[in-house]
Amino acid sequence: MQPIDKIIFGDNQFFGINHMSQEKAQQLAEQFFDIAAIFRVYQMAFDSGIRAIMLNSNDRASEICSHFVANKSKYPDLNWYPSIPYPHKYANLISEKGIIPTINEILFKDNSAFGILGMITKGGAAVLGKDAVKLMQMLVDVEMKMFKGLNVKVVFLQNIITDLLLGYGVGDIFGEYCDYIRKKYNAMPGLITQNMPYLMQKLHEWNIDKVVICSSFNKIGYLMSPDTDSYIFEARKNDPLKYQIMAMSTLASGAIPAKEAYEFINQQNIQSVVFGASSKKHIEETVSLIKIK
Amino acid sequence: MADFKIKLAIIGVGRMGITHYSIINSHPYVKITSVADTSSLILNLMKKYLNGIHTYDDYNKLLDQEVLDAIIICTPPSLHYQVAIKAAEKGIHVFSEKPFTTDNYKARELAAIFEHKKLVNQVGYVNRFNDIFRTVKNYIEKGVIGNVIRFKSEMYSRTITKTEEGKTWRDSRENGGGAVFEVASHAIDLVNFLIGKPDKVTGTSLTSIYSKNVEDAVNSTFLYKNGISGTLNVNWSDESFRKPTNKIEVFGSQGKILADQHGIKIYMKNNSSENNLREGWNTIYITDIFKPVPFYVRGNEFTAQLYHFAECIKNNTIKNNCTFRDATNTLDVIDAIFNDFELNGKF
Repeated sequence: MQPIDKIIFGDNQFFGINHMSQEKAQQLAEQFFDIAAIFRVYQMAFDSGIRAIMLNSNDRASEICSHFVANKSKYPDLNWYPSIPYPHKYANLISEKGIIPTINEILFKDNSAFGILGMITKGGAAVLGKDAVKLMQMLVDVEMKMFKGLNVKVVFLQNIITDLLLGYGVGDIFGEYCDYIRKKYNAMPGLITQNMPYLMQKLHEWNIDKVVICSSFNKIGYLMSPDTDSYIFEARKNDPLKYQIMAMSTLASGAIPAKEAYEFINQQNIQSVVFGASSKKHIEETVSLIKIK
Repeated sequence: MADFKIKLAIIGVGRMGITHYSIINSHPYVKITSVADTSSLILNLMKKYLNGIHTYDDYNKLLDQEVLDAIIICTPPSLHYQVAIKAAEKGIHVFSEKPFTTDNYKARELAAIFEHKKLVNQVGYVNRFNDIFRTVKNYIEKGVIGNVIRFKSEMYSRTITKTEEGKTWRDSRENGGGAVFEVASHAIDLVNFLIGKPDKVTGTSLTSIYSKNVEDAVNSTFLYKNGISGTLNVNWSDESFRKPTNKIEVFGSQGKILADQHGIKIYMKNNSSENNLREGWNTIYITDIFKPVPFYVRGNEFTAQLYHFAECIKNNTIKNNCTFRDATNTLDVIDAIFNDFELNGKF
């Protein structure tokens, strides 16, 4: 398994996402309304030595990707860590239309792109639905379109999807996802989860390895089910040649001061940290504090 | 008790049914034996990928053929009554999605039947299991902000942001659609949970923004015989909110609480050392008070509510929270809102 970047720059700050405070989230959404402000922050991250970007496939992300594709020569070589899908897009559409019309809309709105013109007349998702694997692959392709032309290292499945499927215990689907990412995108499969210990146990059971696991990892156990100790234990016994662990929410949305947060993180048997920040000071401070082995 | 398993079925496998399946399937004492849905796509997928699951295209067949301890009902709301009543006949515990039923008389009947039969009965008003709103309730009950005088309960989401074609159950009030049943029910239930059921509903407006047959926004005023008053302000067509958001503001004789799912701001007239609150503003974040859950899919409260349901079945000494009775009270307020609008809200 190829080692992943130790420090990866995340994207929540750009899209008005803050798990602790909606007010803070709104402020961020305003601050980054102008996309140039996003690129300025990315530049700060590059200036402090970061060469890896994690980006969720939301609507604004496609604008960011296009910029980096078009201006490749202006930037250092970067590794990209997309996470798919943008869950709220699906959640809102499903609320509005129901599940099957949503899949139809997402897959077939622009069907010419897939060369599957005949699919609509055959009943669209209803036909595909008999083959969940094909359906999954098509949805992955829709979400991955925007990352074309970038050096994709890992493709992460968002936690809402990972954990939903984990609850169903469908090992086959996880296996198929991982194979597809390796074959089609020549990248490593990644799974984001809020249930890291349970997911790792199941992956062992299903004989699925060479996977990157991204999960909240912080001292206070925020967004870590069932608890911090289980995470520490699971990470400690992990063989990084089989699974690489990437920590997110290391500051628990700001509840833990950076120094204290990374003193804890640096002691864990993990391979990578993804963090988001929107000022030069915070980026540099974080980079200097992360000292994982 | 280790080998005791609650045999459970899920009736209606749409958006909420899919989520509930995943969560409750993680519970060590629960075994999901069967599902019912009208979508052959969903049933085929489940049959193919979930070993041994029994699938039915009709809930009647499921209830007739399966031996069950409990069901989770996630059909469109207008069907909840008939599913629940049949479950009661068979002595099956029921978790129903909100708004429970579309008729408060039928809701009252169900509550009485389930209480009489001593069956666990619960409705998916998930905010009652949110750590923030539980803390707010605790503060109010302890009198941290003195006597409650006024409040606001608000909810916003970007559920409907385009003109509806009027084809789904969500665009029909008879079927349980519209912003009042779908979204405002949460904000109303939160009022009942935190403050109590209002004695009078007045000044209601129902506004259609995109929907043809139902309201997209509602305002209303709640009055209490003891002098408390409050307002409700709900809009499910507000694109400025990324996620559905409940906000509550409670003004009391000794302070004020502002809360949403993520945190609490509390203004205190005086210090309260026993509650660890100082004079003036205090902020409590979800990260300060959350209780971890064994398995997380979409928010601690979603796991907490279903695990509570399972715990109540396993152990009949636990007090069942968020019951059919509670949901009936919420439906009474909804009924009063619709009546007030019919009588006073039109020109």
